[in-house]
Amino acid sequence: MAMTTDIKKGLAINFKNGTWLVVEAQFVNPGKGGAFTRAKIRNLKSNQVIEYTFKAGESVEEADINKRRCQYMYNDGSNFYFMDNDTYEQFSLPADVIANDKRFLIDGIECYAMHIDGVPASIELPPKMDFKVTTTTPGIKGDTATGGSKEAIIETGASIRVPLFVKEGDMIKINTEDGSYVSKAN
Amino acid sequence: MIYEKQTAIERNALTKSLRSFFEKEKFLEVETPIMVKIPGMEPHLNVFETDFIVGNKKTKLFLNHSPELQMKKLLGANFGNIFTITKTFRNGEIGGDTHNPEFTMLEWYRVKADYKDLMKDCEKLVKTLAKKDQIIYQNHKIDLKTPWEKFSCEELFQKYCKISLDQNRTLKKFKKAAEEKNLDTKFCKDWDDIFFKIFLNNIEPHLGKGKPTFVYDYPSTQAALAKKCTKNPFFAQRFELYIGGIEIANAFSELTDEKEQKARLIEEQKIRKKLKKTIFDIDGEFLASLKSIQQNCAGIALGVDRLFMILMDKKKIDDVLLFPLNKILN
Repeated sequence: MAMTTDIKKGLAINFKNGTWLVVEAQFVNPGKGGAFTRAKIRNLKSNQVIEYTFKAGESVEEADINKRRCQYMYNDGSNFYFMDNDTYEQFSLPADVIANDKRFLIDGIECYAMHIDGVPASIELPPKMDFKVTTTTPGIKGDTATGGSKEAIIETGASIRVPLFVKEGDMIKINTEDGSYVSKAN
Repeated sequence: MIYEKQTAIERNALTKSLRSFFEKEKFLEVETPIMVKIPGMEPHLNVFETDFIVGNKKTKLFLNHSPELQMKKLLGANFGNIFTITKTFRNGEIGGDTHNPEFTMLEWYRVKADYKDLMKDCEKLVKTLAKKDQIIYQNHKIDLKTPWEKFSCEELFQKYCKISLDQNRTLKKFKKAAEEKNLDTKFCKDWDDIFFKIFLNNIEPHLGKGKPTFVYDYPSTQAALAKKCTKNPFFAQRFELYIGGIEIANAFSELTDEKEQKARLIEEQKIRKKLKKTIFDIDGEFLASLKSIQQNCAGIALGVDRLFMILMDKKKIDDVLLFPLNKILN
């Protein structure tokens, strides 16, 4: 049994006769009462997404999932194809399951596949990943209109807000959860 | 970290409008302390604790989670209408779109007024800051034209769950009524737990979407510093303001009866003990100051960062802060 204080993105739980993956978890405290966790959960069979608020400390049953390393290969628009690192078996997941994570997928990138009852149900990216900046404008000192940031396109094609000193060709570290710039990669 | 100058420029302009609004309304701005010896007793809040050290002598101090006790002491000293914009701190509150462990709080207190007068202040304040009758928040239109929507807690539970709070005042009854409606009350240990579980799952997501919404007359157990409703003391004169589904402000007609206040603080002290949280002393000076508050008065706490999120159309509190702790800790 997992406690709901542990409810966080990526956790698989048994809830209402199904297996659900936590896609988003929010801390909520109404102040005058105890703390809660508001979660967006996706049913791993039907892909239905619902919002549910758990009481902090409420126990939820963690689903039996198996996390396996895999490599992203390619997509055909509607499906994303991966290969298991140990078995070299290929599998695919529909685009709506990959959702926002697709902006950080590039051929050969390593991530985790979550297996439920032996079947891959979703992927999990490392929380922070390094990417190369392919396009950005030169930072202009004292640019008051944009303040301290500008737009940069990384190698996956995703657009990220970065500080003015970032140049084309730089490697930068990105938080894959919210897509924000963390630092320059070493 | 990225420091968005535009964010600072917009915040600065909004903060200036806040101050000038209260100046025009003839409020006196006061400064309240960040560190206090006795914070408010709210049973469910966790505080940051520190030690003040002189030689071998240590005194425990707390980072204030609300300037409420200090503001009421000033009311007792006959300051009249006052407001403060200050940093407040809540331990453990992180990880969502709307919480940062330190945040900016605006509190204002009106004398010769009750909580209904503060609803009017809210309407006027937000409209003044927005400078228009309609705003867009995260692709949803919010109509600011007054009057805004008002629902009592009783009405909301009836409307969305067909349950009466008033007729289910005990834990046993409330639990039974909720279960009959197939509402999950598992792990709810007390009446307030059920209230919040239903409120957060079945009611709150509907609030303040098309128009800002006031939710008023909360159960007295959730309003220890508020005056009880004269018609039905099961409820107290407290309201919360929701805009775009986000809780923005919390207000009371202030309880000024010293004896009743003391009894309620003792009650809350017991709950803190039960929840194994730091126990605070009862602030004798605060209780004494209530005696000298001659007129009815009402006070409100408004989350400035959250209001700015709405007005600046930002999804996360981090997007209106230059140094969000969420980013620093993760």
